[in-house]
Amino acid sequence: MRISPKTIREARQISRLLPPLLRPTRSLEVATQELSWIKRELPKSAWKNAVLQRMNHTPLQYILGTQPFGDMDLITKPGVLIPRWETEEWAVKVLDFLISNSANNIRILDACTGTGCIPLLLNSQLQKAGIPHTIKAIDISPRAIEIANENSTKYSSTVEFEQQNLFTLKPEPFDLVTSNPPYIPMKDYLSTEVEKSVRRYEPKEALIGDLEFYTQLVHTVDDCDADNFIFELGYQTQAEHVKRLVSSEWTVGTLNDSAGNLRCVIGSKNMELNLTSLCNTIM
Amino acid sequence: MAIRAYADTGEITVPLIHPLLLKRAQTMQQEFSQLESKIAGGSYDAETNRKFSTVSGILEHLDRYNKDIATIEGLQEIQDPELMDDVQQELESILPNLMRSTTILQNKLLPPIKHADLPCILELRPGVGGSEAALFTADLANMYLNFANQMRWKHQVLSKHESSSGFVNEFILSVDEPGAYNRLRHESGIHRVQRIPATESKGRIHTSTAAVVVLPKFSDGDEKSLAADERSFKPGEVRVDTMRAGGKGGQHVNTTDSAVRLVHLPTGIMVMQQDERSQPRNKAKAFSILRARLAALERDKEVAEQKKLRTDQVSSTDRSDKIRTYNVPQNRVTDHRCNYSVHDVDGCMQGYRLGEIIDKVEEGEFEDRLQELIGHVGGGI
Repeated sequence: MRISPKTIREARQISRLLPPLLRPTRSLEVATQELSWIKRELPKSAWKNAVLQRMNHTPLQYILGTQPFGDMDLITKPGVLIPRWETEEWAVKVLDFLISNSANNIRILDACTGTGCIPLLLNSQLQKAGIPHTIKAIDISPRAIEIANENSTKYSSTVEFEQQNLFTLKPEPFDLVTSNPPYIPMKDYLSTEVEKSVRRYEPKEALIGDLEFYTQLVHTVDDCDADNFIFELGYQTQAEHVKRLVSSEWTVGTLNDSAGNLRCVIGSKNMELNLTSLCNTIM
Repeated sequence: MAIRAYADTGEITVPLIHPLLLKRAQTMQQEFSQLESKIAGGSYDAETNRKFSTVSGILEHLDRYNKDIATIEGLQEIQDPELMDDVQQELESILPNLMRSTTILQNKLLPPIKHADLPCILELRPGVGGSEAALFTADLANMYLNFANQMRWKHQVLSKHESSSGFVNEFILSVDEPGAYNRLRHESGIHRVQRIPATESKGRIHTSTAAVVVLPKFSDGDEKSLAADERSFKPGEVRVDTMRAGGKGGQHVNTTDSAVRLVHLPTGIMVMQQDERSQPRNKAKAFSILRARLAALERDKEVAEQKKLRTDQVSSTDRSDKIRTYNVPQNRVTDHRCNYSVHDVDGCMQGYRLGEIIDKVEEGEFEDRLQELIGHVGGGI
């Protein structure tokens, strides 16, 4: 949809910096909001450059250098997937679950960790709640591990970040496996369902993927002898795939995000600490 | 706190505390000994300690007041004409002290204002007058920011909402100083401006208004306070809407879309927050504002009920009344509740003469409350 000349004129009257922002945001309201964030978080000398970058669809989170996640502001730079609010939402749910069930000495593995958002949130809040735990997080991308370590230092976490390929990971014992693997199939990646800003600037290897990742994740869960898992996903077929792969002792269900989209598949074979209690639907 | 001067007529008038208030202070003596024995008995809790310090403070001032009164009475008995000059001098030196302790005592003895010790949230919205009203709203917002800066009060802009043409249509400021509510609550009401607007081409004077609402602030409005705020509502009482563009979401989209809207179903109060990049933070702020608005609603109800009991008293704090006029051509700011004018619009807008106006309003309110209290007790209860 084209932006009307009237809107552009209106925008220019408010600020010269505003019209370029209409291109990625498509609406005056969102553009105004983004400009106010740019002005709030960057020095005046950087505003013009920031607006020009944004005009070319660079994600705002890369321009500002951070993304809020829980009570943290995580460092986000090109080369790492920007944490999404959907991930934050389910991570907080998992956290509340672990705290209210006082899951002492739980061992957590986070695969495809990116900025380290999930393990860092769990770690900082479990520490505050006084629940002893260990978390290991892996990612195939050295760049992601580098940024995750920066974030880890920023929030002095005790998470162990390691550059590892999920598909060749040596098994270690864990209780819970979390993951936000790449889940956009190639066909959709090239369609308009994926924002230009995502396609042009965020790392492909963090986005493009499908059933193969869920197959491997289920294997990892088995190899690590974990009894709970939660994986983010975008499609019903991915959830069904997981359900098909696990043995009958597992309870499997799905969780929707607050926008009503299918967002996670959760599995558990632990009667006491059963993460599937978070599910909207049991499969 | 301003001190009323009664001593300017040549003859010296001694400010006396209303006997009812004195009686109240004397009953505190009893309470004091009770509290004292309680604390001596080793039971320690914050509440008792707080009470103890309030009561002992009042008694200390009462003691000073009684001593001063005794001295004055002693002085007035002296009839020797040779000593009259000395007596006069002595009296004049005691009087300011006496006046101070009188004012302090009266303030402390009146029943406390609800939520007086809390920080506050100021909400500003343009009233009649179109874009000029929006400009005035922005000016008022600056006035409060300046005022908070001068008082060295920690503050933050919770949200500033501009219409598509760049005019402010909502401004929410949080002043995080304990007790700020007690000072700023007098600012609640309609503020009126009379001036030639920047948008006027023919030089005519316009009258526009802006509405200010001051709310007591219960929670910090951050992630930590969110859980407690949410718990203060029954399940299903508040509907939380998040504004999401359609589509698949998740990894497909990276636009920041963090706006939150709360609807309090029993009252229909709606709070919208979109200033933060983090959705939970917007939600936390929104809950904090919602709680404040509900508390204000409750307080209004209580005040209305009290007024029903006292039908003779005409409301002076009603929100629909204009409380203050800023007349720019005459360089005058008039507060209509106490009929007090300051001839310095700039000084007021820059914040440093606002305190003076609030002092006068406080003084007026204090007298009203004293009247009300005395009338109440005198009314046979």
